[in-house]
Amino acid sequence: MSSIDPAISPPDAPERHTVSARIRADLITAIVLVLFGLAIVYFSWTMDRLEARRINPATIPGLLPLILGIALTACGGLLAWRSWRLDLPGSGAALIRALVSWPALRVIAVLGLALVFTLVLMGRMPFALAAGIFIFTFIMLFETVLADEPKSLVATLLWAFGIAAVGGGGIWYVFERIFLVRLP
Amino acid sequence: MFDGLIMLGAGLAHFMTPASLFNVVWATLLGLVIGILPGLTATMGVALLVTLTYKMQADQAILTLMCVYLGAIYGGSRTAILLNIPGTPANAAATLDGHPLALQGKAGLAMGLATTSSTLGTLVGIFFLAIIAPLLSEAALKFGSYEFFWLALFGVIISGQMTGSDTPLKGYIAGILGLLVAMVGMETLHAHQRFTFGIQALGGGVDLIPAMVGAFGLAEILSSMKRTAVAHIAPVNDRVVPTFKEIFRYWKTIIRSGIIGTFVGIIPGVGEDVGSWSSYAAAKRASKTPEEFGKGSQEGLIAAETGDNAVVSAAMIPTLTLALPGSAAAAVLIAAMLIHGVRPGPMLMVENPAFFYQVVAMLLLATFANLLFGLSLTKVFIKVLAVPRERLMAVIYVLCVVGSFAITQRMFDVYVMLFFGIVGFILREMKYPMAPLVLGIVLGDLLDLNLRRGLLLTNGDPTPFFTRPISAVICLIIVAIILMSIPAVSQRVRTIFKRSGGSQGAQG
Repeated sequence: MSSIDPAISPPDAPERHTVSARIRADLITAIVLVLFGLAIVYFSWTMDRLEARRINPATIPGLLPLILGIALTACGGLLAWRSWRLDLPGSGAALIRALVSWPALRVIAVLGLALVFTLVLMGRMPFALAAGIFIFTFIMLFETVLADEPKSLVATLLWAFGIAAVGGGGIWYVFERIFLVRLP
Repeated sequence: MFDGLIMLGAGLAHFMTPASLFNVVWATLLGLVIGILPGLTATMGVALLVTLTYKMQADQAILTLMCVYLGAIYGGSRTAILLNIPGTPANAAATLDGHPLALQGKAGLAMGLATTSSTLGTLVGIFFLAIIAPLLSEAALKFGSYEFFWLALFGVIISGQMTGSDTPLKGYIAGILGLLVAMVGMETLHAHQRFTFGIQALGGGVDLIPAMVGAFGLAEILSSMKRTAVAHIAPVNDRVVPTFKEIFRYWKTIIRSGIIGTFVGIIPGVGEDVGSWSSYAAAKRASKTPEEFGKGSQEGLIAAETGDNAVVSAAMIPTLTLALPGSAAAAVLIAAMLIHGVRPGPMLMVENPAFFYQVVAMLLLATFANLLFGLSLTKVFIKVLAVPRERLMAVIYVLCVVGSFAITQRMFDVYVMLFFGIVGFILREMKYPMAPLVLGIVLGDLLDLNLRRGLLLTNGDPTPFFTRPISAVICLIIVAIILMSIPAVSQRVRTIFKRSGGSQGAQG
């Protein structure tokens, strides 16, 4: 493990933390990519070679996936080596700090709402209602609880309700009535 | 030559109908709004709109998508100037001089310069599109499986090399992941199902549109909502329409940036952002006043905005002639063309030459619509900038769900969108570029089919891949690109060139 590469050397402390967290994240991702690449190599190697159909052995379906699996393993290995070389003491802590942070919480909140809307609400109620509930909750959450400077509750409530009604109903109307798309 | 002009005239006349002009107006305005709103990109806009254009005629659908694409790339400059945030990644270079100009009380002038230089950039790109595309298309008719294999590989490699931000390795990895996505489903040579693991819905492979809506829609929403900082909009108190003198005193910069943008646009999968940065860097090197760059240089802003808009038109060159997308948004355009029964590639100029000139006409119409709206609707666009993203992103996500569902009307595509959104966000956060991933998905089938078809033709002998002249040249270029991405090799090559340059200088 050596000191940070001057080419990506950060100018200030917060940026330095971001870079060092990314280097550790790169190391972890690279290991995952190597494993994924090896899995692709295995599945490509064991893929049906269609011998029963007497195809030319040079045209087996697993040929390109096998090459890609080897290439991914090699690139993942090189990235792991690069990240290990650039890794700094404290990178792990910087990565944990990035993962347990206010921006990360906001991302998880968006993702949670999106997953609930897509996997739970959709299909269990009319689309316009599901979309309306999602939009209303999203705006309320991000303009009050998760906002840096929360706005007036009454104003947010009115805006959220208005946009939910117009957005949910409008999208339903445009797609289902004008473009004749059967929405879930 | 005259045939081309006549066909271009016919292409323009084809769209001189109230319905077409109406489509130009609303699609350009929508594109401008998408570009202006931070967090919404041109690719996302085009991907989402494919659904809305599904029931249109092919020419009208592509016209609409093209107007959105061009409008969004141009619209992003407004955000760059007034908020110091690039509206789309293509406008990042425009923030360097656009926002300082706004802070000096010249926001109107900056917007006017950005508008006119965008128009000129697109026109330079259109000029080269009209000249190069027919020639390239004719040359491409001689390409066989071997050449197309290398071209597809070249697209993914060069895109990975040029867009990988902290290391080309990440660009290559993104490209390989995209190619692997394309391997899922039934392959075309023997109709064998690969990597489906018994999931029936995977049999047809992963559709590009839901994948793009995820990678550019949901991933953008997550990235945008992650940030908490609220930017301040710079006031606009001066005139927006620039004088001819203000624009044409930098005519050399405009032509140079237009040519650089065109060159970048021709390279598959290297998008507008690279065109913009390359033009900016070249303008700074050639400028008489490089010290002003970054502090409100009009020349810098003109270079950035000419460069990125030239890419849009030039990206149509490989897109239409080789079916290799010149940018991520062009990849969606290819998918949209295929949905509407238009097959881009070398045969397009043979089977449907009128369509090619219609595309040139579409770009011209979109450019003039941008110029008109860009110079006249400044106040409206400032109001758009003030829309809080909390209120916007929720609606955009619902559109992402509908957009990915609507084409085939199956929930599986919505799950694909979710998967690509989450994976795309993680990859973006870790500085993996999205363009090679998209290019990989688009080119995977081409690469696979031509590799195995080429081997079938020679009964398994790979020699023609390396001995046919065009194949050998593309292969050597790919090897050179990969070698040059290794720091030790590129440093050694630079030293050799410097040394030989120095010794020549000494001899001279």
